[in-house]
Amino acid sequence: MVETLVQNIVFGLLLGALYGLAAVGLSLVFGVTKFLNVAHGELLMLGGYVSFWLFNLYHVDPFVSLPLAALALVVVGIVLYSLLFSRTVKMDEEQKVQTTMLIGFGVSLILQNLAQRLWTADDRSITTAYSRMSWTLFDIRFPIVRVVSMVVALLLVIALQQFLQRSYFGKAIRATVEDWEEATIIGIDTHRVYLVAFVIGAAFAGVAGALVSVGYSIVPSMGLEWTLVCLVVMTLGGLGSIIGTFVGGLILGVAQALTAFAVGGAYRQVVGLLLFLVVLAVRPQGLFGVKEG
Amino acid sequence: MNRRDIAFVVSALIIAAALAVVPSITVKESVINLLVLVYIYVMMASSWNIIGGIAGQVNLGHAAFFGLGSLVSRILWTKGWPLSVSMILGALVPVAFALIIGAPSFKLRGVYFAIGTLAMAQILFITTRNLFPMISSLPTEALATYSLAPRYYVALGMTLLTVLVVFWLSRSRWGLGMVAVREEANAAESLGVSALQHKLLALCLSAFFAGLAGGVFAYYSAGYYLFFPFFPTWTFDAVMATYIGGTGTVIGPIIGAVFYVLVKEILALRFVELHPFIFGTLFILVVLFLPGGMIQIWSRLRRLFRRAAPAPSEEKAMSESDMVHDRPAVE
Amino acid sequence: MLNVEHINVGYKDLQVLWDVSFQVNQGELVALIGPNGAGKTTTLKAIMGLRRPWSGTIYFEGQNLCKVPAHKTAELGIAMVPEGGRVFTGLTVLENLELGAFAPHARKHMAQTLEEMYQLFPRLEERKFQRAGTLSGGERQMLAIARALMSRPKLLMLDEPSFGLAPLLVDRIFAKIKEINQAGMTILLVEQNVRAALELAHRSYVIQNGRIVGMGTSEELLSFEFVRSAYLG
Repeated sequence: MVETLVQNIVFGLLLGALYGLAAVGLSLVFGVTKFLNVAHGELLMLGGYVSFWLFNLYHVDPFVSLPLAALALVVVGIVLYSLLFSRTVKMDEEQKVQTTMLIGFGVSLILQNLAQRLWTADDRSITTAYSRMSWTLFDIRFPIVRVVSMVVALLLVIALQQFLQRSYFGKAIRATVEDWEEATIIGIDTHRVYLVAFVIGAAFAGVAGALVSVGYSIVPSMGLEWTLVCLVVMTLGGLGSIIGTFVGGLILGVAQALTAFAVGGAYRQVVGLLLFLVVLAVRPQGLFGVKEG
Repeated sequence: MNRRDIAFVVSALIIAAALAVVPSITVKESVINLLVLVYIYVMMASSWNIIGGIAGQVNLGHAAFFGLGSLVSRILWTKGWPLSVSMILGALVPVAFALIIGAPSFKLRGVYFAIGTLAMAQILFITTRNLFPMISSLPTEALATYSLAPRYYVALGMTLLTVLVVFWLSRSRWGLGMVAVREEANAAESLGVSALQHKLLALCLSAFFAGLAGGVFAYYSAGYYLFFPFFPTWTFDAVMATYIGGTGTVIGPIIGAVFYVLVKEILALRFVELHPFIFGTLFILVVLFLPGGMIQIWSRLRRLFRRAAPAPSEEKAMSESDMVHDRPAVE
Repeated sequence: MLNVEHINVGYKDLQVLWDVSFQVNQGELVALIGPNGAGKTTTLKAIMGLRRPWSGTIYFEGQNLCKVPAHKTAELGIAMVPEGGRVFTGLTVLENLELGAFAPHARKHMAQTLEEMYQLFPRLEERKFQRAGTLSGGERQMLAIARALMSRPKLLMLDEPSFGLAPLLVDRIFAKIKEINQAGMTILLVEQNVRAALELAHRSYVIQNGRIVGMGTSEELLSFEFVRSAYLG
């Protein structure tokens, strides 16, 4: 009994890392550009299919193809930004958030149906030679694929955090978030900053999706659920904090696992949404809500 | 009521009367079925428009109202309650739900309201899917006597009711208050318009007619999964139809819904699943470049032909001019 | 060096500047003085490209600024110190200064300029790892000026450097401005604090209700009612 519980928590953490990774992408985009890209879940789905496709057609190992999934989403991100989202840059914040949300819904509808036509509505998953292997520690199973995925997610999140803190362009991004007008005055091209943030966010979604396609399964209609997961995690983690968002992902993963353990798997999704509503009602700025400039 | 208002009501009645004779001149069930679908979409879009368009609060949980309405109506009705009572209760339960969620959710700013309502609707969707995983079929004796005509008339009648109430609302002090809340919440508050009251009323009316649409769906359908009306697609369809037609106007959602269903059906016949691309693209284009929707095209054309009349500024969205200022100044 | 010619600027349908013209020559310290809401900040924003004029042109060293994207203005050699010592409060003092050298030509000399700035404002070096949000008002103003100078500009524009500061601090800031000008920097100073500005400037323009209503040396301008009341009052 205790072992099953611990096992559930472990699985929750492993999945939660992917929630964190995906949500960090959405959170970066929202934090920098104030675009609420609700097609984020569909970007993740695309990343999953890129990886699945490379594996099935060319037998590329899914962990080797991660950069390609990221690259594909960088291209998608550039197209979406320059074609659609860039047109909302000059709106005031509230209107921008709402307009981008509506655009996002249109985009998600299109991408979802595109995926259905290209890859059918079936569940897909990558099965490699090592898919079934796992480490065992005190009778608790640690599937290799999922553990490696978690490590990848953690590394990427730390890399992003370091990029924002240390690199010159990262500082420019933070400066733009704080005051875009001032940033323009000192010569920062805010359009480029927005584009870079948007593209990094898309790439994170792509990698997360690729990892989902290895450790779990993907389906064209998965976008909405993942977008909601990201929004929940983003709110749990507090906007603007990268590490906080990742921790929020872990929390949601565990909460879902515990719910599935206690009331049944059917209600996994509900717990996150309920948490979300509670957090919104109590603390609109999120659980770890240190509001960073 | 001024002359234009009377003209609107009279033409609505004439169109409804014309549509009422359809079942007696065609025996094609597909035509009747298509029209019932159109009516349900008109009700969904028009009801969404009350909170989303007129009061300007983007509610992404509309499917919850539709779902609750159909669930309550269907269960009561199949248990032997009179249809009318079932449908009325089916419309009132969503209103109660709206009252419960309304006050806390309106504390959320802008987009959090949208996501919050979406989250609530998803919770209801998942829960009903778990609690009622079965298909609700009519009993055999009811199926044997199943007839489309009464369902058609109920759908048509309810649609007419919805449209007329929305029209009345748009011309009333309450409707103007809602527009004021949408345009400038703070200013409206200082003018003595209670933002919360207006939003709450808008949400309740929206829930009522969406629930009524759910009742129509429950009465119309021979068999369906009870959780089917909770699918988020119902929300997104209503939102898209409203925007494409012209959000915030009375006619926009109607045109949008008719267009939406008809194009979807035509495309379904020829190109299978092409409609999501088309509507997705159209929706994005409208949001970005034509915030007044198809109605705006019409008003621009009209303005082009009537250059003599002093036209309001081109920049103003149609929603505003059609809703509030489009009355003749003297009448 | 800077020639503003007949610009009309506004927001949506509200016109703020009406036919504004003035010029700043190499090495000069020119003040643009006027009461609150006269359009001083809008003038600077128009020069920076943050607000496009409806008509008229702005030339900087012969180049038409109206055709330059806002973020390229710094590259051409114009730096602006925003009103009230606006700095990036979430970033450290050092990070603020580093970002000041964002323009390519300035980035090459970043280390050297940084040294110069620490010499000019020793306070900033003491606090370089502190978040800018923790600085006092006067220190922020110094940081804002230093950040602007980090781009090694040819023209420095200051928007109300005296804003919100105690008189003693104002004197100190203005002394620094004078020092910077005497080292060869061309300066356009926008001020509400007429007395302090007139003492400093070689020439001044008076702006009221979005129009330039007077121009001259400090003595000449004393004939203006607005200037006199502000100066004496």
